[in-house]
Parts: sequence; structure tokens; C-alpha cells
Amino acid sequence: MLKKVFKSKQAVAGLLIILIVVFIAIFAPWLAPNQPEEINPAKKFTGASLEYPLGTDQLGRCIFSRLIYGARYSLGIAVPVLLVLAVISLLIGTIPPYLGGRFDQLFVVVSDIFMSFPPLLVVLSLVGALGQGILNIMIAVVFSMWVWFAKVVRSYVLLERKQGYIMAAKIAGCSDLKIITRHIIPNILPALLVYFSTGIAGMILMISGFSFLGLGITAGVPEWGAMLSSGKAYLYSHPLLLVYPGLFILFTATGFNLFGEALRDIISPEEV
Amino acid sequence: MLSVKNLAKQYTCRDKKGRKTIVKAVDDVSFILEEKKSYSLVGESGSGKSTLARLLLYIEKPTSGQIKIDQLDLAKMSTRELRNKRADIQMVMQDGQSSLDPSLKIYDSIAEPLRNFLKISKKEEKRRVEALISKVELPLAVLDRLPHQLSGGQQKRVTIARAISINPKFIVFDEAVSGLDVTVRKKILDLLLRLRDESGSSYLFITHDIDVAMYMARNILIMKDGKIVEQLENISSLTEFKHDYSKVLIRSLPPRTPGHRQVKI
Repeated sequence: MLKKVFKSKQAVAGLLIILIVVFIAIFAPWLAPNQPEEINPAKKFTGASLEYPLGTDQLGRCIFSRLIYGARYSLGIAVPVLLVLAVISLLIGTIPPYLGGRFDQLFVVVSDIFMSFPPLLVVLSLVGALGQGILNIMIAVVFSMWVWFAKVVRSYVLLERKQGYIMAAKIAGCSDLKIITRHIIPNILPALLVYFSTGIAGMILMISGFSFLGLGITAGVPEWGAMLSSGKAYLYSHPLLLVYPGLFILFTATGFNLFGEALRDIISPEEV
Repeated sequence: MLSVKNLAKQYTCRDKKGRKTIVKAVDDVSFILEEKKSYSLVGESGSGKSTLARLLLYIEKPTSGQIKIDQLDLAKMSTRELRNKRADIQMVMQDGQSSLDPSLKIYDSIAEPLRNFLKISKKEEKRRVEALISKVELPLAVLDRLPHQLSGGQQKRVTIARAISINPKFIVFDEAVSGLDVTVRKKILDLLLRLRDESGSSYLFITHDIDVAMYMARNILIMKDGKIVEQLENISSLTEFKHDYSKVLIRSLPPRTPGHRQVKI
């Protein structure tokens, strides 16, 4: 599979973009020319210069430095949230459909109840209740999204548990737990990896969207969505304040989407 | 000794109008399988053979009736006891490819029952797996491969190795050779006969092919519509079958030469 990934131009392009963003996030302190939160009222809305490569915003903060630090927030929120979602969905999404019968019915009923609330609504009310803060937005996103991931896991488990090798494993003396961990999960993992990696792009957009709405991330934090939000007041006078963070969001989301969809193209022919 | 008494399995289905209908897949079946003997179960498609096989392995629970292995009732066992009891009765399924986990190497597939039923060291495990693979006449190199890299006959041999790995008292072969071409089928059947003589396990061959049934065992059970219609021990020729359905089965065998055809072309 790894060989095929490196053969696919799309996957390599996506991977390259992801690596660039990860690199920027890790080495932000060295790459950024200025402190991202340093306010300089004397130099509001300056154009590009050597000191400020992309100019300054309405408070005289270096836009370029803020964009670079923004990668930390986007990845730093999206990736852990996705990992937590992956673990939760693998725990909750495998056992009920494997056991079938009433367990599965109960799971479907509960997940349908959760799915009937749009994620935005859940996040809005949870952030309202928990208060602002990066950890709270992460909790809210996990709480609103787990059911969608678990449902996807369930559908793969349903396909897999009818396979002959599951019965063969049972005959060979495997316990149910062993069948789930040794046989079902390894076989559905490639398909799930695809789903999770395309999910990251959605997660980044979602986080940016929430911070654009002013949810979770407090003002002044150099998050791309928050930058968009504060820039929108200057749409006509200084449109670049919106263009830069917009481009960064687009760039990152494109990277994960390209990579995820290339992975899907690589894996799905084997599945069918 | 494996004894089956008044075994029945019903499924409820809904017909086009949504009414419940009961399908009797296995209907009041009783028989006894002695140790160190071979049996063949013959029946047409849909006669309930595979359901019966799954019931014997207790993968599905019967609607009524009982299955006893050495006087122990399977229905009264806990999940764990039942799992350990599977060391006594194993099954080889029809489709070799789908009964092997596509992500596991052949070595791990064969070692799986050993790891589950016996507590043996890695070294001993390796020795046994290698002995098994040569018993089913496959090269050792196969052990590092994945199931899809093997041919149908090789996959079948791997599933056989898996079933015999823990020396079970009974092995059920559910259509074990259908889907293989004639020469491969003959080789596999001969291999099975040889393995049976070496191990002393009791084999139950489930097949739709009366030829295969006669080749593999002297004790024949004939199944139709979920019922055992005829049961013969130690038969030596096709003329011993008495039941009408058995005679239909025999008459349906393809003629040996074109001259024996009933319908002329």
C-alpha cells in the first residue's frame, strides 16, 4: 500500500502540503519574524515590508507571524480531536453491530437521537454551557461528531462480520473480543484511515468556522478562522486581511483532502 | 461420540405481503457419529446441510433438540466451555478464500487454533505449523504469504491444516471440495483420506455429490428438505439405497459414456 501511495501523484502532492503545514506548525517560533500577539498601535494596516512580510492588521500585529502560529491551532485542535474520535468510534462502533440483535438496535436508536441534532447546534449549546476555551471547543466537537464516526465504523463492521473468516475464527476458538481486535479491526482499518484522513480537512474547516463565529477561541488568538472573523470588518478597506487566512485554510484543507481521496482511490478497488 | 437428537432449526422470514412464514431448515434430525468412523451427508442445495453443519459446531443455536459430544450437552455449556469444546469438533468451510482472514499471513492463520486451544511456546508453535503445512503437502514458503496470493487448492489445504492442527475428534467438511477443478479435487480427497487414516479423527463430509460421498465414506446419510431420509452403514454399492429420493440422486449421476445417455442428442 505504501508503494502505491508514493506512486500516486495526488497522494504525494497532498502529503507534501500536509508536511509543509506540519513543518510550519512545529517550527513556528523560528519561522515567524515577530511575536504573533504583539500589538503595535502605531503601525496599523501597514503594507508589506521587510519587518512585516505581509503587513500588519488593525492592531498593528504582524499578519505573517499570526498566520504561521495559526497552523499550530488548526492542526493542534483538529488532529487530537480526530484521534479521540477515532478511538471512541472504534470502541463504540464495533461491539454493538458485532453482537447484533438488541445491542445493535439500541445503538442505532441512540445514535439516531444524536444524529438528529445538527453538530453546529450541539457545539453552540455546549460551548454556551462550558464557556470559551480551546479544550471546551474540542470537547464540544467530539461530543457532536462521535456518532457520525461510530456509524461509519458500524457500517464497515456489518459488512465484515458476515465474512466466512469470522465464522472460521470462531471455530478456531477465538473469543468475541479477539475476533473484534484481531480480525475485524485490522480488516476495516484501511477503509477507516481514508475516512479519518478526509475527516481532518472537514475538522479544520469546522474549527475555523466555529472560531469565525466566535465560538471557543478567545479574541486575539492567532487562529485562522478567528483572523477571518476579525478581518471581516475591514472587508472593503483592507480585503487582504481576509484573503491571507482564507488561503491558508484552503491550502491546509486541500492537502488533507487530496491525500485522503488519493488513499481512497488506492484502497477502494481492493474492496469491491 | 457425537449424538444428535430431534434437532430442529427454524427461521422466520417475511413473504412479499409481510406475513411471517416459518422455514424449517433442519427438521427433527437424529443421528449418531461414532469416533474413528467416516460419514457422508448427501443432499441437494437448500436441503439444510450447511445449517446442520453450523448447528453441529454450535455457531447457531438450534430451535429445539440436543447435541451431545461424549454425553455432554452443548446447550448446557457456558460460552467459555463451548469455546474450549471446539477443540473437539472443527469445520472446513466451502470457500477457502473467504474463510481465511485476508490480512493475516498463512502462518498466523494456521497458528491461530494452536494459540487459542493449547498453551505452547513460540518455538513449539513454529515446529507444529511447519509440520502441518508439510502434512497438507504445501511448501514452507507459503507460510509468509497472504491468502489472496494462493490458488484455490492451496487455500483449501491451508484451511484443512487449520482444522487438523489441534487433532479434533470430529471434523465437518462442508462442501469441502466443491468449486475446485476435478484433478485438484481428487488430490484433496485423497489427502483427506490419508490424513484421516493417520489421525484417527472422525470425518463428516457434507456434499451434494453422491460420487464424492461414496468415495469418502461407507456410512451415508441422505438429507432432503431438512430431514434425514435414509441412513446406511457400511454400504458397498449404489444398489443398497432404498429410499425413493436416494434413487433419484443416483439416477441423476452423469452417465459414464455418451452411450448411456437417457436423452439422445
